[in-house]
Amino acid sequence: MLETQNLTKIYEDGRLAVDHLTMKVEPGEIFCMFGANGAGKTTTINLFLNFIPPTEGTALIEGIDVVREPLRSKEYVSFVSENVMLYGNFTAIQNLDYFTKLAGKRGLTKADYAAVLQSVGLQKDAYDARSKTYSKGMRQKLGLAIAIIKDAPNVILDEPTSGLDPKSGQEFLKLLTAMRDKGKSVLISTHDIFRAKLIADRVGFMKNGKLGLLMTRKELEGKDLTELYVQYMDERD
Amino acid sequence: MLKDIIRKEIVETITSPKFVFTFLLCAVLILLSVYTGITNYSSERKEFNAAVALNKKNLESQPSYQALAGLGTKINRPPQVLSAIASGVDEAVGRVATVNVAYDPNLVDSKYESNPVFSVFGALDLTFIVKIVLSLFAILFTYDAIVGEKERGTLKLTLSNKVPRDRLILGKVIGGYISLLIPLIIPLILSLLILMVYPDIHLTGGDWGRLLLMFLVFFLYLSVFFTLGLFVSARTNKSSTSFLILLFIWVVFVTVIPKVSVMAAAQIKPIPSVHEITSKKDAFLQQVQGGAQKKVMDWVKENSPKPGEDQKAFQDKFKKFLEDYQQDLTSQIDANNAALERDYQAKKRAQQNLAINLSRISPASALTFSTMSLARTGLDENQRFLDSIRAYKPIFTKWANAKMMSNIDFTGGGATAKVVLDDMPLHSFENESLSKSLARTIPDVVLMAVLIIVFFVGAYVSFLKYDVR
Ligand SMILES: Nc1ncnc2c1ncn2[C@@H]1O[C@H](COP(=O)(O)OP(=O)(O)O)[C@@H](O)[C@H]1O
Ligand SMILES: [Mg+2]
Repeated sequence: MLETQNLTKIYEDGRLAVDHLTMKVEPGEIFCMFGANGAGKTTTINLFLNFIPPTEGTALIEGIDVVREPLRSKEYVSFVSENVMLYGNFTAIQNLDYFTKLAGKRGLTKADYAAVLQSVGLQKDAYDARSKTYSKGMRQKLGLAIAIIKDAPNVILDEPTSGLDPKSGQEFLKLLTAMRDKGKSVLISTHDIFRAKLIADRVGFMKNGKLGLLMTRKELEGKDLTELYVQYMDERD
Repeated sequence: MLKDIIRKEIVETITSPKFVFTFLLCAVLILLSVYTGITNYSSERKEFNAAVALNKKNLESQPSYQALAGLGTKINRPPQVLSAIASGVDEAVGRVATVNVAYDPNLVDSKYESNPVFSVFGALDLTFIVKIVLSLFAILFTYDAIVGEKERGTLKLTLSNKVPRDRLILGKVIGGYISLLIPLIIPLILSLLILMVYPDIHLTGGDWGRLLLMFLVFFLYLSVFFTLGLFVSARTNKSSTSFLILLFIWVVFVTVIPKVSVMAAAQIKPIPSVHEITSKKDAFLQQVQGGAQKKVMDWVKENSPKPGEDQKAFQDKFKKFLEDYQQDLTSQIDANNAALERDYQAKKRAQQNLAINLSRISPASALTFSTMSLARTGLDENQRFLDSIRAYKPIFTKWANAKMMSNIDFTGGGATAKVVLDDMPLHSFENESLSKSLARTIPDVVLMAVLIIVFFVGAYVSFLKYDVR
């Protein structure tokens, strides 16, 4: 479970990026956080991962306060970042192997890695190619493979589908639903409404660090999400 | 986990094109410099042996002790085998001194004098390669060690795992250092092998000890730049910025500080020019001579014989007075000249020491001084050699004079005694002991160690607080 209570971040320059945010992502749920650029999505995720200290409030992973116990909290989360370059001199297998070991998993074989890479749809001839030759989409797939193999109960993804072609995007979503079906809490930050709508169990719209217009899949049925998004963004605070 | 981080760091580095390039260049430069160093030494050794033999033959062929005393004997500075690694001031200082009854001996005929083009480029010894090229490699290996991972996003990905930051930086330090050492150690071992098998090179146990200590100093020096690179890398947000800062610091360390120190020392502790010394000597001479005339006149006025007194006795007395007085004046002048010379030498040494101590803040200077001391090619060793020659001069003079006296030919024009060199005292010079050389390198080693600790702690602390986004 991912949870925030009154989470607030004011940057050193005085900018309020996250404003008393209280939210929850339950196990077996995909939560999509929509929002324009600069809405505060990445900041929220950075707070979850304790990359920056909160000004106020707490972020919890599996009920663990990420500021008090940063290391322990990270056992329970997989992270797919927006545009990870990975280690360019390493192949997919080498990258995967290293991060798997960092995640504390040992004894996996090359076949295990190949299976995961296949599941994220990376073409076979890329497994042993240096990752600096990869396209953005290929790197994104490798990043997801790293998250999958860690097999943590919580998954946080920052703009995961940007840079993916339609087919890859489709496959990506399938993998996310598979994770959800295994009972994981999945938090996705995105402005890709089309794709997110297909898999989200709940959505929220972020604006100026506040999360509004929270809706479940049921409530969304028959509504035009794009219309809602534009309306919400145009509303004055 | 630490092992994984270290291994990843090594594998990632040694599979990079940067590494291949560095490795090849290191191998070529190190081997080339050691090889040229060795061949240089061996040809100098030959030259030295030839010069010694020639000198002996020359002395033996002198027609008389008189001629021998005037010509004098030539003392050649033996080349140091470790100059192959650190040539120090070897090429800049004189290689031979003439000791005869007349002049103060001095070392002349340096390699630079006989072939000035050498001085333009300087020696391409291993110390130079380490100082300039390898330190740049150390920077090249570390400038993006941390900031580069931030730029690629791998730092965030790494730290989204249960990885303590101190463990991560430690792993990066160890792994990075090992990958820097690989392109160094292999050519260094090869060059040690060359030293072992090269026919003209004979290293004593002490030489091996010195050599290993020099290698240790090399590693210390490179560690300074390695930790500095990490430090700067952990304090910047762009690898290009990190690289520029490091390049700037490198230039300051390697070229600016040593040069500025010499200039600053000249300003702070000026030494009189040779002209000044000469004119001071002349002035004293004139003063003494002026005084002398008056003194002689006074003496004559006082002692001139009253009418009726013995003229002859007065003349003898006057002669005696003049003789004594002349002697007195000569020793006065000699004493003054010696004092001026001592003062000059002391000032020169003070300036030199100030320059050395000022420049020591730079690890490049610390490297130069300590390896010179260990190779026995430093300023001190040269000075000691010169001192030994100066100490030898009176011994030689005494012997030559005694020989001349006992062989004076009273018959007037007969056969002169043949020159026999069997009992000629020989110049001897004891190389500086290892403990003394080592003592002289302590400040340099301590300085580098302090820099390493400061940079390492700086990198460590900075990384614990580093903004990974
Ligand atoms: N390090 C920072 N210092 C100051 N302001 C920042 C910093 N990082 C982000 N911001 C600001 O915080 C706001 C939220 O940014 P971010 O969380 O990156 O938005 P999103 O990911 O939704 O596009 C933006 O206005 C951004 O300019
Ligand atoms: Mg963002």
